[in-house]
Amino acid sequence: MDDNVVIKLTGLTKRFGYGDTTSFALKDFDLEVKRGEFIMIMGPSGCGKTTLLNIIGLLDRPTEGEYILNGEDVSDISSSRQARLRARKIGFIFQDFNLIQNLTVIENVALPLVYVNRPRTVRLKAASNALGRFHLSEKEYYRPSQLSGGQKQRVAIARAIVSDPEIILADEPTGNLDSRSSNIVMDELKAIHEEGNTIIMVTHNPALTVYATRVINMLDGQIHTDVKTVEDHDLPRPIAAKTRKRFNRRALKKGRFNVDAF
Amino acid sequence: MSMLFKTHYRLARASIKQNRTRSFLTCLGIAIGIASIVLILSLTGSISSLIKGEVKEIGADLVVVRPSRSKDTVTSFVEELTMANTFEKSSLSLVDVSSISSVEGVTAVAPIAISTNTLKNEDNVIPSATIMGTTPDFNVIEPLALKYGVFLNDKNTDSAVVIGHNLALHLYKSSNPIGRTLSFLGQRFIVVGVLDEIEEGVNFDNVDFNNVLFMDINTMQSLMESIQIQQINVRILNTSILEPVANNIEKTLKENRFGDTNFSVAYGDAIAHPASNLLNIISGMLALVAGVSLVVGGIGVMNIMLVSVAERTHEIGIRKAVGASAHNIMMQFMFEALILSGLGCILGIFLGYLLAFLVSVFTPFSPFISWEIIAITFVTTIAVGILFGTYPALKAATKKPIESLRHYQ
Repeated sequence: MDDNVVIKLTGLTKRFGYGDTTSFALKDFDLEVKRGEFIMIMGPSGCGKTTLLNIIGLLDRPTEGEYILNGEDVSDISSSRQARLRARKIGFIFQDFNLIQNLTVIENVALPLVYVNRPRTVRLKAASNALGRFHLSEKEYYRPSQLSGGQKQRVAIARAIVSDPEIILADEPTGNLDSRSSNIVMDELKAIHEEGNTIIMVTHNPALTVYATRVINMLDGQIHTDVKTVEDHDLPRPIAAKTRKRFNRRALKKGRFNVDAF
Repeated sequence: MSMLFKTHYRLARASIKQNRTRSFLTCLGIAIGIASIVLILSLTGSISSLIKGEVKEIGADLVVVRPSRSKDTVTSFVEELTMANTFEKSSLSLVDVSSISSVEGVTAVAPIAISTNTLKNEDNVIPSATIMGTTPDFNVIEPLALKYGVFLNDKNTDSAVVIGHNLALHLYKSSNPIGRTLSFLGQRFIVVGVLDEIEEGVNFDNVDFNNVLFMDINTMQSLMESIQIQQINVRILNTSILEPVANNIEKTLKENRFGDTNFSVAYGDAIAHPASNLLNIISGMLALVAGVSLVVGGIGVMNIMLVSVAERTHEIGIRKAVGASAHNIMMQFMFEALILSGLGCILGIFLGYLLAFLVSVFTPFSPFISWEIIAITFVTTIAVGILFGTYPALKAATKKPIESLRHYQ
């Protein structure tokens, strides 16, 4: 199997209800996602986009079919194993941000690291670095309610990348934002994509497809169109963790946090 | 793992702080239950420690024989609750007294028979005075300080009585009625001794010596026809042979009663054990009531935890989405329930001892603090916390992440 394939879905089906009331959210769905792809999934409401994202994110289970994540068959694993994989391999970004209101911004960002057993100081340091990337260092000890929508979404992105996941799943991340904030958020997503991260994003906004390397249109739980705008060999390579660390250290010294600056 | 413990602890603390009033009221529910348990245990503890102290003072060479087997099982305790034991005929008799006397190593034997009767003299009537029949040996085993006169002895058995300090004051309006007479059941007696006032209201004979009338047990029997021997106090030669002599007494009694074992032989701390049947019953009842209030407190914890889980459904969804397992979530809420009940327990122990000190102002009891009581309350609290925290925690842990995320914020 190709090393570069992160996700492989074969014959994925998600059924709701029984008998006459059966409806399909996903019907015999096949998809292969390569490392470094930025996929946008579009389609009318109820076509199964969110269900697909939830299954890929191990929040939901398919009724039938096979899901291979990083070479491991995860279609029928225990829920505790699912949780462990969510903590280590998957970063979520939601439309309504989903930050915990009574935790500070930095604690929210550090949250995924709690469940991979990192000591508190390590967690806070990593969270602080992630927030620095998104120019939110001054807001570390704010509450989410004290931030604007765009800032909240950047906090959520920081939380999604803090544990260095294999894939980042975004469910209409700009759905609740004005166009200016949308652009900032999309620029941040583009930046982390260019570092070699794999991103799957659901959106309703066709204007955003310019950021993607591949656009999938869904209809009735199946792929309607699938267009690649970037060839596989042109996809960004993941920057080795060591290099990235050095980048960030240098950036910190210079007072800049964005890896894009280099 | 320990890292997660710390995190759970921090989270629970934050959540409790956030809802101060609610948490305090929940703790109070547990605290009241724990306080009543502490109060009861500390008071009953103080009584048995008083008696133990007394036994120690009198000497460790004491054996006590009581009618009926010792009550140390739950069934017999329940029997005790439901039967009017007081009116039952004592299984001990004067024959047993003489068979104990014959056991080697025994130096003094004093049976105690208690009855209630009306006392009269020229001026006063005491309608229900405690009359205690015993032998002169009583003073050998358990020397009581006399204020005036002498105790019963072999020469004055027929018509002499010794009375307690308060009884003297009630009957004669004087603390020195030596030589004066009183009558009951149609017979006249002469007061030959008055006891000194006794501070402690509790002793292993279960008699209030300030209000008692001592008389010879044989005279008492001839007067009343039937007497009830409450217990037989036995003094033995020295402490080193305590156990074998006690066993010998048991054996001899059993033989002389043709195998009947309806009696108990106690020595050492065991003497203090059935301090008072009535006291045991009352403290048992109180402990039950306290247990009920603790259950109510536990339900309070469960209720608040269910509210907390419902309020934080969205948070649970977020935590699960970023990688919390069901076990993580379960522990988080379990910790919160345990900390709530733990705080209640600490509050309850303070409250309980405070009450015990207040009670001690008006009674002869002094609050009895021991690590056992604190350990018992802590273990009970943890049990209550686990019992009533599990359901809400399970409910939180089994929530579906997608549905929880959709839950209102």
